[in-house]
Amino acid sequence: SSHEHKLNFQKSKEMCLNYIQDAMLQKQWKRAVEFLTFYIEALEKDFSREYMGPSEIIWRIGSEILWHHSHNGMKEFNSFIEQMKTLAIKRYLKVCLEHVFHLLCNGLIDEAYQTLSLAESWRHGEQTSVQDKEMKLIEAYRGLLDYYSWAKQKHILLEHGQDGFEDLSVEQEMHSCFRKAAVNLKEIIKIPGVWDPFVKCYVDLLEFYGDHDEARQVLNEYAYNSKFPANPNAHVYLYQFLKRQGESKKSLISALKILHDSVPSHELMIDFNTMLQKSKKRKKHRLGLEVIFAALDYAGWKENVKAWSCLAKQLKQIVISEKHLDWIKQEWNSRRDWWPAFHFSRYLAKRNWQENESLSYEKALVAGILLGKDCKYFKYVSHQGCKAQVKRFRMLKKFVNKHNPVYLRISG
Amino acid sequence: MEFPDTLFPSYFGAGSLREVWGPAPASGWGERGQVLGAGPGRRQCRTAFVPRRGRTGESWEPAEAAAVPVLPPNAGCWIPMLTPQDILCHGILRKKLRAGKFRAALDFTRQLSHFFVDHPEDAFGSLGQLLHKNFFLGDSKLTRTARDTTIRMTALMEEIERLEARRGCTQEHLVPRLRWFSHICRDWLFEVPLGVLGDYVHEELLLQCADLLFNDSPTGGALAWLPPEDAGARTGRLVYPGGQAMNHLYFQDVVLEELPRAWGSPAQFELNGRIRQVAAARVDGEDFIGVRSDYHCGVWRVPGRIVAAPTPLQVIRTSVPASCLTVSPHLPGELAVCTQSGAVYLWSVETGLQRLRRDPQTMFFRDHSPWRWSDFTAHPRVLSYADRTGLQCLDARAPERCHFDLFKVGEEADCQQGERVMLPMYLGRAHPSHHLVTTQFSVYVMDERLPLVPMLKWVHMMKAPPLFAHLTPGESGRSHKVLLGASSTQELLLLQYQGGSRSACQLVGPPQKLHSIAGCLQHLPMQLPHCHHLLQQRLGAPAAGLAATLQNDRSQESLLVFQLSEAGDVFCQRLTHKMAQPPARTSVDEAVAAPGSSPLFEDPASSSLGSGSEEEEEEEQTFYLSNVEVISNDEEDAGTLAAPEEAELPQEPYASLQPALAGPSPGAALRYRRWLKALFKVCREPPRHYWLPILSQKRLFIRKELQSPVGPSALHGQVRQQLRQAMREKGRIQRWDTPDALTPTLTQHPELAEGVDTLSTRLTAAWSGDWVPWWEERMSFTMAQRRRALRERRRQQKRARSRCSLSASFTSSVTYQSELSELSDAAPPPLSPGRPPMLPEEGSPLRGSPLASPAPDEALLSSQSLRSRGIPKERRKTLRDYLAVWAEGHPEPPEPPGSQASQLCIPSSQSSQSQLSSASQPRRKRPRMGF
Repeated sequence: SSHEHKLNFQKSKEMCLNYIQDAMLQKQWKRAVEFLTFYIEALEKDFSREYMGPSEIIWRIGSEILWHHSHNGMKEFNSFIEQMKTLAIKRYLKVCLEHVFHLLCNGLIDEAYQTLSLAESWRHGEQTSVQDKEMKLIEAYRGLLDYYSWAKQKHILLEHGQDGFEDLSVEQEMHSCFRKAAVNLKEIIKIPGVWDPFVKCYVDLLEFYGDHDEARQVLNEYAYNSKFPANPNAHVYLYQFLKRQGESKKSLISALKILHDSVPSHELMIDFNTMLQKSKKRKKHRLGLEVIFAALDYAGWKENVKAWSCLAKQLKQIVISEKHLDWIKQEWNSRRDWWPAFHFSRYLAKRNWQENESLSYEKALVAGILLGKDCKYFKYVSHQGCKAQVKRFRMLKKFVNKHNPVYLRISG
Repeated sequence: MEFPDTLFPSYFGAGSLREVWGPAPASGWGERGQVLGAGPGRRQCRTAFVPRRGRTGESWEPAEAAAVPVLPPNAGCWIPMLTPQDILCHGILRKKLRAGKFRAALDFTRQLSHFFVDHPEDAFGSLGQLLHKNFFLGDSKLTRTARDTTIRMTALMEEIERLEARRGCTQEHLVPRLRWFSHICRDWLFEVPLGVLGDYVHEELLLQCADLLFNDSPTGGALAWLPPEDAGARTGRLVYPGGQAMNHLYFQDVVLEELPRAWGSPAQFELNGRIRQVAAARVDGEDFIGVRSDYHCGVWRVPGRIVAAPTPLQVIRTSVPASCLTVSPHLPGELAVCTQSGAVYLWSVETGLQRLRRDPQTMFFRDHSPWRWSDFTAHPRVLSYADRTGLQCLDARAPERCHFDLFKVGEEADCQQGERVMLPMYLGRAHPSHHLVTTQFSVYVMDERLPLVPMLKWVHMMKAPPLFAHLTPGESGRSHKVLLGASSTQELLLLQYQGGSRSACQLVGPPQKLHSIAGCLQHLPMQLPHCHHLLQQRLGAPAAGLAATLQNDRSQESLLVFQLSEAGDVFCQRLTHKMAQPPARTSVDEAVAAPGSSPLFEDPASSSLGSGSEEEEEEEQTFYLSNVEVISNDEEDAGTLAAPEEAELPQEPYASLQPALAGPSPGAALRYRRWLKALFKVCREPPRHYWLPILSQKRLFIRKELQSPVGPSALHGQVRQQLRQAMREKGRIQRWDTPDALTPTLTQHPELAEGVDTLSTRLTAAWSGDWVPWWEERMSFTMAQRRRALRERRRQQKRARSRCSLSASFTSSVTYQSELSELSDAAPPPLSPGRPPMLPEEGSPLRGSPLASPAPDEALLSSQSLRSRGIPKERRKTLRDYLAVWAEGHPEPPEPPGSQASQLCIPSSQSSQSQLSSASQPRRKRPRMGF
């Protein structure tokens, strides 16, 4: 009966797909191709009402195989994709987008640009929300490519400009590129998302043409709009922009403070700390201590010599001045129960000493101040340092011994 | 900690899920995802773009054809797992699943009846004691006085016993007396309240049924590898559960050689519960091993030195089953524990348990699963907390206030409808702030610093949700290797990704499927059917754990992947790193591709069919998708789905279409042999698959019937004597005929005789251990037989035709005679010893089919019939002679079995004709006779 036939056909289709999958997962591309040629028949009798029809499956599998197992390279791939574009009409934009990606990765930027322009003019029935998103991306990528050609022309112009030679046509083309890029890039970065490359390019364009207010607005929006994800890069771009603009320390610090609140382990925290240290206000110093302590909480900072030396420097200052010992005490209170095991174990002392002497020096200083002269880490490292007759370790030992009462006050 | 300065673009929408249901096949292929310009091109004019997926990765090739056992099989015969047949009404699950609306039809009554049989004391104990005075079980008659208060139950008991004796017999029917008794007593005889008992049984059945569909208790896996302290050493340690109930914890030293091998005897601990998960982490040169069973969690410490013995540190008991146990990679002796009540604890060996949260509700939307998970993060005081709907990060110092969402099943991560978190894992060794989140459809890499937005997403297309994951970090810019493992299907997938600190995360290289344990079945030596079945069950057991280690020998880098099955067996496979990629890949491809498949579209059907049909002797079902022939094992399709069975069966069709891989290396083959030997020693008793119907001899006849024989005839006496003898010997009564008194009117059917003969020869062959050649021979033999039958039929047809034209063509009978003599002169070929002799005499059972119809010839020969056909008298004699020759029959010139096997089963007369004529030369002359 026809129903049974349908069922059997469905079954054999699934099995065929299974074999293809199996072959691909074992990198047997040739075998996969063989099965795929049979699977193509699934197109003729496509009874399925599934989300992903055979046409999309063929497109996906076919392109994957061609990436890994193609003799003619791009030519073969292009002709395959052109067929797929007409076949998988529902996913036309997706296919185009992926085609563009493939072209871009192979350095075929002009072809990619053409494909994007073609795709942009495509219309088919009512646009779904997915297609809408894909269309926006297509436009954005075209904007990006426009930006790159703008940058190329700018480069030519700047180089030739030095020779005192100006080409009006190049300049005109550059400006038209700018306009095309700006329109498309501006559109995409309004939608919530991660648009790092687009934002960067758009800001670069704006800055070149002196539209700093617009750039600032874009970056502020990107960093602080609550509909956008908490992207650390958004803050970094804003900070870098402010720095380029020569903004006041205050605004830089406030930008970094917000970054610190969301990502205390960010690499910019070292800059933040030094910036705060340089400030004259006591409150800023306090914040600096907090920042560096917080950064060192993270496993990724465990062996960062720079961070440890920042902390050691600041602690040393406080101990010598004997002012604000309560700051240390407060920071230390929430870390007292786990920092010793996390940072200052005997095992780590040994390893740090073997692998990185200056790290062990900075850490030993911190350990000596926070845990006193009987701390395992400090004892081991200072002992080894003195044995190796390194001068700074002897100084270290002397310093910690001298200021041992501080430890008692912190821990008390 | 660096953060990539540019991330791949992506949309970020909050809200509901995509309206897509179910796994879409092949959706992991063919996508680059997004691209990123590597530089804005300030200096150089050309900008290089990198894709999110699809860059070439490292090439890791399996060194063996299949996984190889590392350790001897788990001692203590493995208890077979629960199958759907045990608790479901026959065949329902599969049908329902097919139809898409699943509601299990539990075989509730059967389970409840088991209770009465298994626990009679609980069910009927006290009432039985009360009533035993009133029930009389003796043979004698009751006295009149006693009759008022006592009932005689003897007959009823006999009925019951008879019923018991007939258990499994297909012709089981209820006796009215029993039916009557149960009607009367049903309501009061047992004292356990049936409603309550029923509720409990039902609840348990539902639980078991849910477990059959998806069991999350082994999440995380129960296998751990403790690497040697210095990277150069080659002795590490495997931690795994074993024993009959998987409640023994073993620490086994393993030397990494070509094939890893156990060194010394393992340290062993007996626990009081099945071990569900073994988690390990190395802190400050010491390994901490967390072990989770349902109601207990324990932690062990193993000092880095290899000789040091593991020491148990602490055990906690939970009132609700624990669902997660992870060991902190930051601080020694710290673990995270979750229970099914929705609680998460930070467990420190020194300070004890600290509860961070307890919330029976799921976080982001409602989901019924009580499963919870927790792992560590880049900050030693911050723990991740997961349920099926997503992940949060909690600060242990202020869990109520300080938390943020790391992963949400929803639009944020572009999830599908129905997608659920299966296993989160902290990827600290690859990047301090990375987390892996697997769902049943996809795998995500998340960064704590940018929550909710996946750094990487890939649709993994695995058939079962991945419950195990393992990370092998790649150092200095090399790719990180992530292994994903599924439990029920034993799938194992290797992914590679890179980036995360300076550059954005990228998935590199195609994903790769690794060998499953069940895959080694085809490389094992052939077994007797019941052993094969046992093996199939054993090897097809769901996976229970996954571990891997990188091994660096001077020139060769290799990845060793260990796999644990729920039967407690540990298998291993080696992947070797191929440096020179392009040539290596093509060469492997060529070696692996099916023979004769090099031109893409030549005739692939034949090659795929050829390899397929060899393996499957059983019923096959073929579907045609034009010229690709897909063969599915019929058993698999018709058999009522079994979750564990399905685990092993999908391997088979693959195997059949698998291009012929090289067999195992000698070392591996030796391993297999040893393992098999040990396995069959351990499981000496083959499992019983079905009830043999047994009829008790004791109850066949009641005493009275045996005591007074009715009509003491001689025959009766003889029969009874035989019966008694049979009963004394406890043998079978096979035939009731006596040699003389009852002459058998029924001549034994040749087929039957042959059957007996085959059975005995088969058994003899099996005993002597070479039944395989016997079977092959037999196959060809039966083919020869069938061929003879075919030929005979054809001959008869011809004869029928000839009857009409006999008179017209009679003159050449002499020529035919000479032909016949030629035929009978043809010497029979030497017979193989195992083959029953084929003799041309009449009555030989083997020539049954050619001689099966002597009657028509007889009828034909009678002069009456000849006359009726209008044959003149003088010719009748000739005809009779001629036909007599026919009746005698003549030996066929036998053909070599091989050619027969290949040419059989082409039923069209055309081909068989040509075949026959080519096979036997004299036949060609026949047309001369005018037939």
